[in-house]
Amino acid sequence: MSKELEHNFVTELESNQNIVHKVCTLYTNDRDAHNDLFQEITIQLWKAYPKFRGDAKFSTWMYRVALNTAITLYRKSKKRVKTLHDDTIFFKIKADEYDPTEEEQLTLMYKAVKQLNDIDKALVFLFLEDKNYSEISETLGISEVNARVKMNRIKNKLRTILNP
Amino acid sequence: MMDELELLKKDWQKQDVVHPKLSYNDIHGMLWKKSFSIVKWIFLISLIELIVPHFIYLFPSVWQGDGNVLYKNLGLANPLLVLSVIYYVVVLYFIFQFYQRYKEISVLDNARSLMAKIIRTRKTVKNYIFFSLTMFLMMFMAVVFYIYINDDFINTLELSGKDISEISKEKLENIKFLSMLIVAAAGVAMTLLIGFIYFLLYGLLLKRLNRNYQELKRLEV
Repeated sequence: MSKELEHNFVTELESNQNIVHKVCTLYTNDRDAHNDLFQEITIQLWKAYPKFRGDAKFSTWMYRVALNTAITLYRKSKKRVKTLHDDTIFFKIKADEYDPTEEEQLTLMYKAVKQLNDIDKALVFLFLEDKNYSEISETLGISEVNARVKMNRIKNKLRTILNP
Repeated sequence: MMDELELLKKDWQKQDVVHPKLSYNDIHGMLWKKSFSIVKWIFLISLIELIVPHFIYLFPSVWQGDGNVLYKNLGLANPLLVLSVIYYVVVLYFIFQFYQRYKEISVLDNARSLMAKIIRTRKTVKNYIFFSLTMFLMMFMAVVFYIYINDDFINTLELSGKDISEISKEKLENIKFLSMLIVAAAGVAMTLLIGFIYFLLYGLLLKRLNRNYQELKRLEV
């Protein structure tokens, strides 16, 4: 039974690992930290897995655990030196056709998002993952109205970062 | 701006793993690794706080050596026993409360409630530390008090075989006062030091969590 549980879990996580990687890339700055956070999220997911009833999609359930781990439970295991080149793993820009202006714009946007605080990043992450405000508010434990207000503030913040 | 964020969203949805994709075995290997979550740290530190003070009783000198005799001679043995019993009853209460709070913590909660529960659990630990430090300080103060009311305190110290009668009364008073002062100062200094270390430790451990919690809470006001 537990072997089967283990197998199901690993299979599900393997095919949905992209979500966890995105969270890790958003919240960490180098490869070691990325791996470290990925592992912690995996452990937390696995510990909570017996409570996963399958009434929600595995991926939906993952968002909450992954974000909770990143903004609340995770603590860097050793002090990491912040280097100037902190974009060793960065988002790969995938513009449909090669468009230098668009690519540059996207690079700047990703950089700006990485400068946000932990909570703002969580909101942006859920927004980018196409979650609606009701899901965002449920995941973070704030009201829907406040989630909207916050999202607008974040847009302003990003604007300030991009056009100082 | 709106357009840019929408552009980002479009690009984001197409994002693949930038990181080397992990295999079934990679992930499987992670399942049984040790977690280093904040909750785990709080649990471990609490355990150490609970156990370490009791190592002191493992040193033979404490239970059969001079310390005990001194307490007995000072007439402190009984009050200390009563104090110990009260102490352990309260400690048991704290362990029970800590366990209850600890159980409530679930990664499946929403972020705000998860943070609130961790902070509540930490508060239990904080109260326990306040209590322990108060008891610690009280032990010292009890010794000071008993030195004060015991006239033959000097005799109990068995001052290097010297005949007490040879020492002038004034000098004896001075020694007594000095002893009280030293015990009191040591008590205050050690309490402050231990307290400082505890709060520094927790402050560092929960700095990020507190900041994130404040951020979420500020939204709801």
